[in-house]
Amino acid sequence: MVTIGDAHDDLIHDAVLDYYGKRLATCSSDKTIKIFEVDGDKHTLVETLRGHDGPVWQVSWAHPKFGIILASASYDGKVLIWQEQNGQWSNIAEHAVHQSSVNSVSWAPHEFGAVLLCASSDGTVSVVDFKDDGTTSPIVFKAHEIGVNAASWAPVDTNKKDQQVRRFVTGGCDDLAKIWRFDAQANTYIQEAILEGHTDWVRDVAWSPSLLLRSYIATASQDHSVIVWTQKSDGSGAWEKQLLQAEKFPDVVWRASWSLSGNVLAISGGDNKITLWKENLKGAWESAGEVEQ
Amino acid sequence: MVKVHEIKSTSTFAWSSDKKPLLVTGTVAGAVDANFSSASTLEITDVLTKTTLFSTSIDAKLHALDWSAPFESYTRGLIAGAFENGIVHLWDAAELLSSQDLAKAIVSKSEHHTGPVRALQFNPLQPYVLATTGSRGEIFVWDTKKLSAPFRPGQAMSPMEDVTCVAWNNSVPHIFATAGSSGFASIWDLKAKREVLHLSYSGASGRANLATVAWHPTQSTKLVTASDNDGTPLILTWDLRNANAPEKIMEGHTKGVLSLDWCKQDPELLLSSGKDNCTSLWNPIAGTKLGEYPTTANWAFKTRFAPAAPDLFATASFDGTISVQTLQDTLEPVSTRVKSTNEDDFWSQISTTDTQQPQFAVKQAPRWLKNSVAVSFGFGGKLVIVKNNMDDKTAKIVLAKIPSSDEVRSATEKLSS
Repeated sequence: MVTIGDAHDDLIHDAVLDYYGKRLATCSSDKTIKIFEVDGDKHTLVETLRGHDGPVWQVSWAHPKFGIILASASYDGKVLIWQEQNGQWSNIAEHAVHQSSVNSVSWAPHEFGAVLLCASSDGTVSVVDFKDDGTTSPIVFKAHEIGVNAASWAPVDTNKKDQQVRRFVTGGCDDLAKIWRFDAQANTYIQEAILEGHTDWVRDVAWSPSLLLRSYIATASQDHSVIVWTQKSDGSGAWEKQLLQAEKFPDVVWRASWSLSGNVLAISGGDNKITLWKENLKGAWESAGEVEQ
Repeated sequence: MVKVHEIKSTSTFAWSSDKKPLLVTGTVAGAVDANFSSASTLEITDVLTKTTLFSTSIDAKLHALDWSAPFESYTRGLIAGAFENGIVHLWDAAELLSSQDLAKAIVSKSEHHTGPVRALQFNPLQPYVLATTGSRGEIFVWDTKKLSAPFRPGQAMSPMEDVTCVAWNNSVPHIFATAGSSGFASIWDLKAKREVLHLSYSGASGRANLATVAWHPTQSTKLVTASDNDGTPLILTWDLRNANAPEKIMEGHTKGVLSLDWCKQDPELLLSSGKDNCTSLWNPIAGTKLGEYPTTANWAFKTRFAPAAPDLFATASFDGTISVQTLQDTLEPVSTRVKSTNEDDFWSQISTTDTQQPQFAVKQAPRWLKNSVAVSFGFGGKLVIVKNNMDDKTAKIVLAKIPSSDEVRSATEKLSS
């Protein structure tokens, strides 16, 4: 176990490992992003990225086939794209279409290319396609009243290689989660489903990255609850909800994250506890322990 | 600022406590429109969809409105109106919205004040309790369940004239503050049945006239006051444990301050507006100005956060608009000019001004966006955890390893041992 203290001068909002688990990117209210190299129990700060004009909420690593690339989302309304080449980090692109804080950023499954999904307090979601010729064509659309807090891509279904459709889930200040699907003809995203169940802001959404038998989406909320949504396999496409635990969490649930194999869900709440969850053979969710430090 | 909606009316207003907030507006006393119309209207607007949900004419103008949180049979809360003819009206908001009939929705009509009613507020902890203030130092506290008998809060120790502001403490239900033309801000204790403290301030530029007051969202002894005196347009924060001098003095308004609102969700955000036509955002804990919103063409007499959606706020101005804006706008500013629709209209001509685009760099994010923890899985069962200490603003990152999903339970047991 590695503990990094005093990494930033203010609150830290996100910390994410790269594809190989070797590099750690962190971001903070101190407006900076830091890159650490992690090796066993050692960690080394290698770079501090400056360029944002407000707290940086989230960072996301691109798939390594695109190079060493990181995207960062900030309260300043911008998403910055950073690249490392020959040990040198630089800011290579800026995505500034939002009118308010950008709360979430994530790269699409690499099969879709270098495609970035951003969620903003201005109520819109933007999807930016960084094309090979260097051009971009952002699609921006209204997703949730008052604000969008989180967004997460659906995984690529490798069984249906020829008919890949881009889908993702968003969570907002209207207490809803919504599923969106790309409509190539209209060149925009259309609402496929509304996931109704929370009674306060949806703070995080996480689509399970692996396709086990079914699709899973976890939604974490200000209402102190987590709901796991599963899509019925009867072809109706309807989503069923199940509370992760019947009793409320003691505080706001801020984040949900699936393990890469998709069978463990990590939950972090305002009570500063990290809990792990697994589905049992009966299809119910049970605690798999608490991570203490 | 993204302007969400603009209501064309010289009105006072109050927000509902819904997450998709509604705004009740009522023609404000002390102003006439270009037609010298004496008409007065009461309206309810859904600001997000920009639709008027209810509108009716009423027979007098208002000094203030408030909208309580829902309680008991009032599923959408009570709306209270402070009228210039001395009447306090209470309406059932759910009934207003469903029946569209003002007469049906009336809960009470009370004539206890002997002069204009200047201000009122529902108690945030006990929404059935209402305080109203008016001229000649009249202050009443009402239990809306038995409206026949409001009571006076007790003995005043400072001179009272027009009491133009009343604010309940957010953590102690029997404490409230008033302010007005006498220059003092007064603290009342309903249990002691008297005014227990009064605040006053004189600076280098003269005596402040403390005409507005707002309480800290959680700390019972802290409050903020402002002076509506053009010579001393100051905002002052106080801790009542030492009421001799203010804690912070915030300068920035160039004329008297008319309205204050301390954000319920983030004590580091305060809105103010005033006679200099400006609406500003402050950090009252640090005592710093965070930014200024587009100016109105006349006094900005009231500004309020939407209580359950504080990304939104509304400002009412004597230029005939209530504008609903977002707290933050990150797009490049563009210069605009406030213009009347009818260029020939003399009255619009004189109220036309350049709006200065905001010098706005709100780099201080609101508290409700700041996550205290984060967790993310990485390759090989690694778990990255972020834990923040929100009080001293320090953080730590922990990398834990979970060997394989089958061993999660034993791994976490090992981690916790």
